[in-house]
Amino acid sequence: MNPIIQSEVEELLRAFVGEEIHVHSEATSYVFVRNFKLKLTQAFVAGEGPFRVAFRFDHIGWLRMEALTHYELDHEDRLLLAGYDDRGRMNVALHLGKEPFAE
Amino acid sequence: MSTSTRKLLAVFAHPDDESFICGGTLAKYASSGVEITLVSATRGEMGRRMGNPPYLNRETMAAARELELREACKCLGVQHLQFFDIRDKTVEFVDPDQLSDRIAGLIREVDPDVILTFHEQWGGHPDHCAIGKATAEALARTGLKKALYYISFGDSLAYPESFGYTREDISQINISKFKKAKLAAFRAHRCQTEMDEWVWLPDKQAMNRLGDYEYFIRGNEEALRRDRSDLF
Repeated sequence: MNPIIQSEVEELLRAFVGEEIHVHSEATSYVFVRNFKLKLTQAFVAGEGPFRVAFRFDHIGWLRMEALTHYELDHEDRLLLAGYDDRGRMNVALHLGKEPFAE
Repeated sequence: MSTSTRKLLAVFAHPDDESFICGGTLAKYASSGVEITLVSATRGEMGRRMGNPPYLNRETMAAARELELREACKCLGVQHLQFFDIRDKTVEFVDPDQLSDRIAGLIREVDPDVILTFHEQWGGHPDHCAIGKATAEALARTGLKKALYYISFGDSLAYPESFGYTREDISQINISKFKKAKLAAFRAHRCQTEMDEWVWLPDKQAMNRLGDYEYFIRGNEEALRRDRSDLF
């Protein structure tokens, strides 16, 4: 995982806009949603680090997360975003893939 | 006394439960020739600690923690390892009847003398409580007379009265000679222990942080019949 560079993440997100995608989203200590399927219509990155990311989907949907610090495009071309604290603990994760994530 | 190999079956929820909670006891019995089978219901893939600095993410964590657990098993002398492939944090939502059936099948197959699992109330995490409850139910279904013990964290049960138990309800295993193996197992679970500075101190200093005893709640009549300082 690499520290987020806003312009690079925005560029990577563009590959998912307009597509049917699978999402894994979690606030680690409280909630996770795995493999929800949506049609992404817009994707935003904001902040100066940690970053906020928001999606618009299926005309009526919003997904917004904050505290994101790191990203990686993995070997299956999935975009993995995560937020870690200063001791390596994950607070949040937001993963996008064109195929379902492992159940 | 039978001359056949003594066997222990441990049914836990996450990679590292076996090391952090009762690693000294597993190492002690393994070194005396006990054949140990460990079940980890999940791969701990929803854990929060991702290494320090972090090198894991949600999608790489399962494989990393499986490798770490295999390494920890080597440190402790655990010969057999099985996963139930349940997603971390969801054990309590698995069909309890099917889960108990699966564990009962394993108890019949392994035919252990001793079974370790979590207490369904004192487990400390929903996955722990769920796997403990299913294991106790599984043993009841087999009708077999195996000694059942519930594992406990640290030395909380050195004073069992606060949990409504008497000393007679508790077994305490002296692990003072097996701290080296326990520490090695802690270190094998690198992504989980990397942020705990004491684990990475020189061996002697780190081993000083481990207690001399591990405590177990005696879970059935078979267990209550045994000496308090020995699970077998």
